Formats: sequence, structure tokens, C-alpha cells
Amino acid sequence: MDTLLDVQEIHTFIGQYHILEGVSLGVPQGSITALLGRNGAGKTTTLKSILGLTAPRQGKVVFDGRDLSGMRSFDIAALGIGYVPEHRAIFRDLSVEENLKIAEREKGDYTRKSDMIFDLFPDLKRLITLSGANLSGGQQQMLAIARALVADNKLLLIDEPSEGLAPVLIEQMMKVISRLSVESTVVLVEQNFLVASQLAEYFVIIEEGKSVKSGMMKDLVNDHETIHRYLGAA
Amino acid sequence: MTEKTSPTVNSFVSQNRGLILSLLALVVLPFIVGLFEGASLGAVWQNESGTSKFVQGLAIEIFILAIYALSYDLIFGITGLLSFGHSMFFAAGAYLSGILLKSFDLSLGMTLVWVLVIAVVNAFLFGIVLPRVKGITFALVTLGLGSVFHIVIMSREVGDYTGADVGLQAVPVPEFINPATHRLTFYFVAIVLLLVVYFIYKRFVDSPTGRVCVAIRENEDRAKMLGFNTFYFKIVALVLSSVTAALAGTLHTLYQPIVSPNTAGLGFTVTALLIILIGGVGTLNGALVGAAVYRLLDFGLRRYLGESASFINGAIYILIVLYLPFGIVGTWRMQSAKITEGRKRLLKLLKLEK
Repeated sequence: MDTLLDVQEIHTFIGQYHILEGVSLGVPQGSITALLGRNGAGKTTTLKSILGLTAPRQGKVVFDGRDLSGMRSFDIAALGIGYVPEHRAIFRDLSVEENLKIAEREKGDYTRKSDMIFDLFPDLKRLITLSGANLSGGQQQMLAIARALVADNKLLLIDEPSEGLAPVLIEQMMKVISRLSVESTVVLVEQNFLVASQLAEYFVIIEEGKSVKSGMMKDLVNDHETIHRYLGAA
Repeated sequence: MTEKTSPTVNSFVSQNRGLILSLLALVVLPFIVGLFEGASLGAVWQNESGTSKFVQGLAIEIFILAIYALSYDLIFGITGLLSFGHSMFFAAGAYLSGILLKSFDLSLGMTLVWVLVIAVVNAFLFGIVLPRVKGITFALVTLGLGSVFHIVIMSREVGDYTGADVGLQAVPVPEFINPATHRLTFYFVAIVLLLVVYFIYKRFVDSPTGRVCVAIRENEDRAKMLGFNTFYFKIVALVLSSVTAALAGTLHTLYQPIVSPNTAGLGFTVTALLIILIGGVGTLNGALVGAAVYRLLDFGLRRYLGESASFINGAIYILIVLYLPFGIVGTWRMQSAKITEGRKRLLKLLKLEK
């Protein structure tokens, strides 16, 4: 399988703090790869480094055969990377429709994709005129993911999609992410190991800013020692 | 054709009912005031002295303040750029038009062209630092630029043109718009300019570009993640804002016709901030309401309380910010949504509506 995203030994600093001290990961095309690790391990910073929001000082990120070093974050996004940040980062002052339309990369993206989006998230169609601030947590998360689907993105980076959601919504979210992987490649940051293990085919464990283990998810679920050591779960 | 147009017209009227009524009231205001005073419509039309002419003057000051406050609402309320040097945009328009009319004998048309050019240059001057600084750092950089401009216009070296610390005096105003002899004309010109600016701003904010500006205000990184080069959008907002403020400055010079150095000071930027805080930040309409409340309160209190007016003024502003944290328009919008929802629930309870 071709590698769509290749992160090679990146080192990222935020201010004077050395946050990522050597993270490497390869993401095969058409797969779901989970970034696992404890709180503060550097998973979100890894996503932000891929996007150039916190640009790495060393190492490089290659996306679809192109070295992203030195590129500005909006140029990186325009290459076809959709980002769903943690904490349901929608635009609260814009309506549901405006939140979706603003994500158009080419004119007509929204019209072209609206059927698919409302098929995945039927609730959003009903709430189309409501402002983002008036949506519930689950609806905001749906909107955040839907927004990343408006443009033709080859890669989706999804940060903590199940955070703070009720179990029934987590299940719905998992179904949606599974369906997305048919058309896109997904990198998923997920604290909930049960969710990550059911969704992802590949995993990368990040510990104190370093990628320490990677492989097939089906192997990890049987490796209780690794799970206990790095994720604190039994 | 008529069938297609009328729903658009109806929707425009229903969306802008308050504004249209206010506009009609403003059009008849000078004549109504004149009639109360016993002056004929003809006397008001001929710009004869009296309360009507005085009221027109007060209203013109409000219109100029409203245009200026709108320009600040665009960069601060809509785009989220906190600038402490905004008065420089206004003062540049005011001084430049005064100097060109007085010292260079230019026509009003040519003066306006130069004002527009300099306004765009000013916007880019502020914009140069945008990729490197944001938030309070941007505010301090703009404060620095504004202060330099303030010092320059007060310096003796350019005093022949700017009037140094005394200010620019006795600017010759073209006769057809001279507020001393043609105040009613000036009054209507100011209304039209305010309306044009307001509708351009409304159109801009509702456009895709305007929506990106709102997104930048909320979270610039998120906007970048959607592939937007936020710098360009902030520059567009700055240029539009600077041009508008400069036009307000020109109008100010034509009306007064003197320009005080205070118009370039930090205090005048704070005036714009105060106006939109009173009216409602990021609402546009708030700039219009805020300008009226600010000027009328200041005028009324000064007239009856003299020097102690500033103290009462300050207390009132604190109360407004405390009890109407979203400004008059912002709070009204929130409450009216709640009232509409409550009325619907009540009608449902009473089974008068499904």
C-alpha cells in the first residue's frame, strides 16, 4: 500500500519547550491510523506539526510525495488536508450552513457534497440556519467533521472525536469515521482505546514526545503489556 | 419581472424596517423641528438660523461619528483586530483634505482622490506588521504608528500646513456644501454617505470574504486550517476601514471647518471603541446607535451640568458596559430572540398555535 503521509523524526518546539523529540509515522493510503498515548504525550502537537501550525524545527513531513518543510499552514491545508481539531472547534458566530460553506476550496464544493454530508449527518440539515453557538456538543462535533468533508481532502486529521460525547453519539461517530475511510485516509488521535482499536488498522504510540511503537492495531489489542505500559489501560 | 422583484423588495423592507423608519424620521426631522419653532418649511429649506439648523448640525456630528465608528467596528468587531491607532485613519483624511483645500487649492474631487490614496497607504502601513504580530502586540504597534503621526502633525516643522498644536484653521469649503450657508444640503449628503457606507459594510460582512473575517475573529488558526491566507482578508478589512475613516475625516473637516490635533490622539480611538461598546461590538447597527447615544449624552450633560458632565458620562458608560455587556443592539438582539421563543411557547401552551 502506498504511503500518503510520511513523518520523519520531527522535533517541534513551542516557545522554549521541546515538545516533540523525534516523532516518525507512516500513514498508508486509504487507512485509518490511530495516534495513541497518554495526556500530554504530544499527539495533538504532532497533528499541528503536520499542518505547519507549530512547524517542526528538525525532521520533515512528506505528504503525497511532497516535502512540506517551510510551507505555510494554509498552503499545506490547501494541498488536501482536512483538520478536525479537538474541543469541537467550529465557528460559533456562523450558522451551520456558513460553517460548511466557508470550508469550500473551490466554488460549488458545498453544493456538490451537501447530499453526502446530510446523508452522514441528517441532524445538520434540520439545524442548517442555527448558529454554531446554539448546537449541542454532539452536534458541534458532527459539524466539525462535516466541515472537513466539504472540500476534496485526501487526508483527514481528526483530534479526539469522542471527547465528552455520550456513548450513543460515540457509536454514531465511529460509524461515520469508518465510512469516511472508504474515500479518505484518516489519522485519528483518540484517548479512548476501545474506540481507537475498533476503528483503526494501524497505530503509532507517542510517549513523552517520541514515537515509541507502531504497527497493526490487531496485534496491539493482544499485546497487553504494551497497552498497560504506554496507555495505562488493561 | 415585477413578480420576481417584489419578494426581494419585501424581504429588504422587512429586514431593514427599523433603518427605513429611522431614515424617514431623519429626512423630516429638520422640517418638524422648524415647524415646532414656528418656522416655515421654506425657511428651513433656505437654511435660516434657528433650532432646526442647530439640530441638523448635531445630527451631522452624529453621522460623522457613526461612519467613523463603523470603520472601527469592521476591524475590531468583525475581524478581531484591536487597534489603538485607528484615529490616525480619521485624522489623515481630515488633515489631508484640509491641507489640500487650503494650501494647495485643489478641487474637492481631486482632494477626495488623494484622501483615498493615502487611506490605502495607511492601511498597508498597519498591515505590514500583520504577519508578525497579533492581539495586544498589534494594538501596541498601531498605537506607536498613531502616536508618531500625532507628533508629526503637532510639530512646528509642518506647522505651516497643519497648524501644529493649534490645529488646522479656516479650511475653505466649496460653496455648494458649505455648512454655514447650505447646512441642509450637507445634512442630506452626510445621511447618504452614512447609508452608503452602512450598506457596503453589511454587504461585505454577509459576503464570503466577510464570513472569513468573522472566522478570523473567532479563531485565526482554524481559518488557516481551512486553507485561507488570513493576511489578505485582514488587509482587505483594514483598507475598507481606513478608507471609510478617512472619508469621515474629510466630512469632519468640511463641516467644522477646523481640524484639532486631538482627532489624531489615542482619546479619539477610545471614542470609537466606546461608541461600539455602547451600541454593540460587531453588530454594525450598534455603531449607529452608539454614536447617537454617545453624542447626545455628551451634549445633553454638558449643557446642563457643565464640567461635571464628564464624571456622569463616565459613570453612565460603566453602567452600560456592566448591565448591557453586548451593547444596546447586541442585548436587544439576544432578548428579542428570547421573547420570540417565549411567545411561541406560550401560544403552544394555550394551543393557539401548533
